[in-house]
Amino acid sequence: MKNAEQNVILDSISEGVFTVDLDWRITSFNRAAEEITGISRKEATGKYCREVLRADVCETGCTLSETMQTGKPIMNKAVQIINAQGKRRAIAISTALFKDSKGKIIGGVETFRDMSMVEQLRKEIKGRYTYEDMISQSHKMQNLFAILPNVAESNTTILIEGQSGTGKELFARAIHNLSFRKDNPFIAVNCSALPDTLLESELFGYKAGAFTDAKKDKPGRFALAQGGTIFLDEIGDISASVQVKLLRVLQDKTYEPVGGVSPVKADVRIITATNKKLEQLVKESIFRDDLYYRINVMKLELPPLKDRKEDIPLLIEHFISRFNRLHNKNICCVTNEVTAALLAYDFPGNIRELENIIEHCFVLCEGEIIEIKHLPSSVCSLLKTEMVQDAAPATIKQMEILLIQQALKRSKGNKTAAAKQLGIDKSTLFRKMKSFDISESE
Amino acid sequence: MKIAIPVYGNTVSNVFDFAHRIMLVDVENGREINRCEVDVGNRSLPQRAGQLKTMGVNVLICGAISQLLSAMVTASGIEVLPYVTGNIENVLDAYLAGQLIRQEFSMPGFRPGLRRGLGRRQGCRWRGGLR
Repeated sequence: MKNAEQNVILDSISEGVFTVDLDWRITSFNRAAEEITGISRKEATGKYCREVLRADVCETGCTLSETMQTGKPIMNKAVQIINAQGKRRAIAISTALFKDSKGKIIGGVETFRDMSMVEQLRKEIKGRYTYEDMISQSHKMQNLFAILPNVAESNTTILIEGQSGTGKELFARAIHNLSFRKDNPFIAVNCSALPDTLLESELFGYKAGAFTDAKKDKPGRFALAQGGTIFLDEIGDISASVQVKLLRVLQDKTYEPVGGVSPVKADVRIITATNKKLEQLVKESIFRDDLYYRINVMKLELPPLKDRKEDIPLLIEHFISRFNRLHNKNICCVTNEVTAALLAYDFPGNIRELENIIEHCFVLCEGEIIEIKHLPSSVCSLLKTEMVQDAAPATIKQMEILLIQQALKRSKGNKTAAAKQLGIDKSTLFRKMKSFDISESE
Repeated sequence: MKIAIPVYGNTVSNVFDFAHRIMLVDVENGREINRCEVDVGNRSLPQRAGQLKTMGVNVLICGAISQLLSAMVTASGIEVLPYVTGNIENVLDAYLAGQLIRQEFSMPGFRPGLRRGLGRRQGCRWRGGLR
């Protein structure tokens, strides 16, 4: 078979395929391989396969090398690669020997499938999120990521503060999944979702006969989380009586189920979260100070989305990819106007609100690009009052001028605050203001 | 100035995220004065970024690197020069001579545009040698 024919066949396969010679240099590279790695055939051919595939096994346990040594093929080994865009992708690789017509070994063949979607769905089902699933390039978030492993290893009680929708539970899960407790349960409880009396029995369980209809023992969330982590969301909303019981768990590592007579030992890490300022609640005597000091061993503050606007384009991309999978659509992007509108919006509901906005757009968008008309009315009404009086700011320059003017207006002329909102350095803002001839009063 | 290079044998490791060893090179007035290797084993991404910061690294010369790890490293104030390939000695010499831009040191698929989101460093000094 001629080379051209071979290439046509290889390109029609949905799995990535490449072959190497005995020096590990790539001799052929199909179209699916180009798509998965992000590297073109022209660039890949002649290069060492490890420079192209960039897998976690390349330097520690190369599967192709194993096949070449043993002569045995390897099937569907799960590995991670970093593609040309710097994104981590999960793939499954299979290897085999590459022989000529006389049966002489002339190299190896590697085929691989993109498993990112399967991996993502598995994560969503099992909730096994890590910090790698938290999309952020903001410095505040990067600083939090940097201390995350130490926080996870420490086993201390953690208080996560942040507005609703900033990803407190995702962060708590990431801490759990980095800790030595990761193989044990992660139990999340929203304390404000349950009435006071129910919350107590829900957290600590009850004994048969504790109250009417308590016919048999029921384990509480602390019992279910034994050996793992319990995440108490909206901790600022719990009543005084539950605060006392929680204090005991933190002090003595024991609790008593409702109607129980003997204490039960709790080997559970407690992560709490709130969207309120607990310090203020302590001052107002709504929250016990002794409990506050117990849970506030390590406090992590998640910034609201309006303080990390540089993450908005990344998050838009992430949600588009997620909803494409869930809704079986093929939307590629949003228009510049949509990005500008979302950058100008304050997101009181934070990331959750952005997620809902993109999902709203998915319902209405029938094409491949999300346009301004697909945005919900709450964002559009802001648009009408605040921006785009001239129907279409056609250029990037116009868009930049508009965004800078709006940021200055919102921050009442404070350039440091405006630069922060825009996610750019103060000196960049100064330079742009000078070059676009924008005054502070605008 | 301290330069960190993830290594595999005598070459630059393909991916910093998965590398097991890092070579640290101290440079003064354009000359190497000391070098050593440290093990980073199975460390997590934040731990890798944290370790570079703790060791006082100024520049990281590496092969491929995930956007996430790159953001963590640059957030620590470290300059990242990614998508570098080749023999360690040649790479180091090229860096010190301001010649790292040469095609032979670029991984396949590397385009200058890939710097977007992969580091703070911009402009003509990219891969440009000493400060």
